[in-house]
Amino acid sequence: MPARPRHSSDHSSPAVQTGEWGTLMATAQEGHGGAYQRLLTELSDWLVRYFQRRLPVGDVDDAVQETLLAIHRRRHTYDPRLPFGPWLAAIAKRKWIDQLRSMGRQQSEELPADIPVGDHEAAVMSATVLASLLDELRPAQVQAITMVKLQGYSVEDVVRVTGLSASAVKMNIHRGLARLTDILEKTDDLD
Amino acid sequence: MTSTDALILDLSADLAPVQRRSVLREAAVLVALAVVELILIVGAGAMRPDMGQVILSPFMLWKMGSLVLLAGVTCTIAVRSFAPPASSRRGLMLALALAILAIVGWVFVTLGADSGRSLLERLSPVHGMLCATAITVLAMPLMAALAILMRRAAPVRPRESALACGLAAATCGALIFTACCPMNDPLYIAVWYSLGVAAVAIMARWLLPRRFRL
Repeated sequence: MPARPRHSSDHSSPAVQTGEWGTLMATAQEGHGGAYQRLLTELSDWLVRYFQRRLPVGDVDDAVQETLLAIHRRRHTYDPRLPFGPWLAAIAKRKWIDQLRSMGRQQSEELPADIPVGDHEAAVMSATVLASLLDELRPAQVQAITMVKLQGYSVEDVVRVTGLSASAVKMNIHRGLARLTDILEKTDDLD
Repeated sequence: MTSTDALILDLSADLAPVQRRSVLREAAVLVALAVVELILIVGAGAMRPDMGQVILSPFMLWKMGSLVLLAGVTCTIAVRSFAPPASSRRGLMLALALAILAIVGWVFVTLGADSGRSLLERLSPVHGMLCATAITVLAMPLMAALAILMRRAAPVRPRESALACGLAAATCGALIFTACCPMNDPLYIAVWYSLGVAAVAIMARWLLPRRFRL
């Protein structure tokens, strides 16, 4: 099957889109596959942009697909009398938090020195979102998370730079990510 | 075709209609379950023998009225929190404020009634432990029902929803238990009922979010 064309939705405002998306979802709840496919296609574009501003580029596809699956599994919880935007944004935010949590659980392995491609993950992180979140953490936590989780350094590298023990660095990463997820869970802003 | 495109095609193929979630239907399930528990208690002859005389006393009216209000508020908070983007945080604060007001109210309603008894007599720890245990046991079916409803819905803050579920189940359990509980001391109620409710809430907060995946 040929690849479907991507609908560019950059030109329409989210408010206009979400009104239409609400109608599409209501139709999809009645079993209309065509409306649902159109809805998911447009949502995936929106979700790609949403996660590109919040996650390392390598995690964006996973987050988009996880969110689409969550939307599919929980589509019966959307009430067509209510706006679609907050419903979607709340699910996307939950998936963002889950993705941050899974980053915290992932083992950070040192990359081989002769790896042919450089690490560009830090470059694609949203400076504003990330900076405002990291501002809430202790400097040692910020340094450990930035080096290990965003820049790909090993824990041993951070030990050498900071002079802390390996367990202290790991604890800083763990507590810092836990604090970030707590902050996100407590904020009510819906993108 | 990207893997996301393939996923979208998979998800939209043979799409079946879904029954929309209904808050009223879920509330009706909880009320029905609580009524069944109450009927079983009355049927088993466990209702306090003097209920006919005390039911209209100021103390009993305040005790049952407060618990009806708390059960209604906490159940509403729990069920509402099951769908995005609802948050139960403000609701939980409201429930806490109501609980404090209820406890303070109980003290005023029966002021001076038990002033001649010692603290240990008023607290009656052996009976109190039984009360807290009974509230916990009576809350279990409601907590199970709320857990099922929560897992079938989409709580975006599962920890808060779980806590709301625990409080809802516990206050319903406490309300049902008032049919059996012979104790009228506000201090006793404040201590042991709060302990029973807290135990269920902690249990729910710990158990319900486990393995939950949106």
